[in-house]
Amino acid sequence: MSDKQKNIDLNLEIWRQKDSRAQGDFSTYTLQNISTDMSFLEMLDVLNEKLTMEGGEPVAFDHDCREGICGMCGAVVDGIAHGPEPETTLCQLHMRHFKSGDTIVIEPFRSRAFPVQKDLIVDRGALDRVIQAGGYVSINTGGTPDANATAIPSATAELAMDAAACIGCGACVASCPNGSAMLFTGAKISQLSLLPQGKAERKERALSMVTAMDKEGFGNCTNERECEAVCPKGISIGNIARMNREFVKASFF
Amino acid sequence: MWFLHFIQSSIGKKWIMALSGCFLILFLCSHAAGNATLFVGVSLFQAYADQLHSHPLIVAVFSSGLLLIFALHIVTGILLTLQNKKARNRGYKVQKRAKIRANSQASATMIYSGLFMLLFVVLHTAAVSFGDHASIGKTIAEMFSSFAISIFYIIAFMVLALHLSHGFWSMLQTFGVNHPEYNGLIHALTFIVPVFFLLLFSSLPLLFLFH
Repeated sequence: MSDKQKNIDLNLEIWRQKDSRAQGDFSTYTLQNISTDMSFLEMLDVLNEKLTMEGGEPVAFDHDCREGICGMCGAVVDGIAHGPEPETTLCQLHMRHFKSGDTIVIEPFRSRAFPVQKDLIVDRGALDRVIQAGGYVSINTGGTPDANATAIPSATAELAMDAAACIGCGACVASCPNGSAMLFTGAKISQLSLLPQGKAERKERALSMVTAMDKEGFGNCTNERECEAVCPKGISIGNIARMNREFVKASFF
Repeated sequence: MWFLHFIQSSIGKKWIMALSGCFLILFLCSHAAGNATLFVGVSLFQAYADQLHSHPLIVAVFSSGLLLIFALHIVTGILLTLQNKKARNRGYKVQKRAKIRANSQASATMIYSGLFMLLFVVLHTAAVSFGDHASIGKTIAEMFSSFAISIFYIIAFMVLALHLSHGFWSMLQTFGVNHPEYNGLIHALTFIVPVFFLLLFSSLPLLFLFH
């Protein structure tokens, strides 16, 4: 236990919505003695335990690995997707970043393409359908090749890896004033188009993934850069620029 | 077919905005160059206007081209704003930007600064471009000797600078120009380009006002 460990009291304003068709509204809760070593989701666990004991309905929220690599968790905390800490998923956000007496407003990711299912859970299936449109390599790669058979410069491999760090949480869509999914789609197109294995299908991929993205009802990117600012994996908008180039090349040449 | 598909896509619409914006910046350059004759004197400006209008075909081709580019930029901009409003169907209770930049306000208000520019262009062309070309130098000198008109022009140039402070960078990003090696230069140009036009255009009403 660190010396800095302490307990804080919190006021929570949480979006409660029974199902996808319900109207929904904010409910207010208070929590006492929350350890600052807790993660944000552990704090919600404490709230849910309390609500269950009192015979109430626990707050529904998505989560899985709780170590910042699966992309399942996410909510908008005080107006910022995944909360105030940069490059941090909600599960990796710790309560030490809050002060005793704080009122924390927790809202679901909002976008027309992300319908709210219940409370803080939204349906991010639209992102899966963008991947299904071409976010893979369909060529037959055969047996395991020799490690150095395919030469890839280190800088290129690093760029591809940076794009591949995207966990598909949807914070980019949630934070975009236009509800655009271009950072996500840009990262997914980039991670493959940069590498020799992905280059074979880069044209079809760029065309079909952008078409799928538009079909889902995501907004149009107007270069506000909010996506990059909230991305828990620090995905750069350089990937959107690369997607723009890929799409134009695929359309015209 | 492929072309229709391209311009109807989200990236295609970005390209229409960026490409028409690029042409509009080029137009600003030529307009600023023409204006610069006023620094020498009203008579040189009048001579430039007379020379320009002695080639009616060139004027007609460039004016209609410019009108088309303006229309594309405005119609696409309005269409994008409406579509984007629909995509972000519901706002947040707490509205906050994760990262505040010097030109955050510019990116969020492009439609408003753009519509104000449209109002300015309508008033400006009504007063100057569709006025009597033979005495355009005199018209300008008279207009800018009025304090209210000069201030309106300077405000319009400030709004233009605001619009450009997002527009110029945004155009390059849409064209896919984003590279660590050039991003420093691009960042500098984000401020240099709008300030350049602001100073060049605003100095004219100021020149007449304090002359």
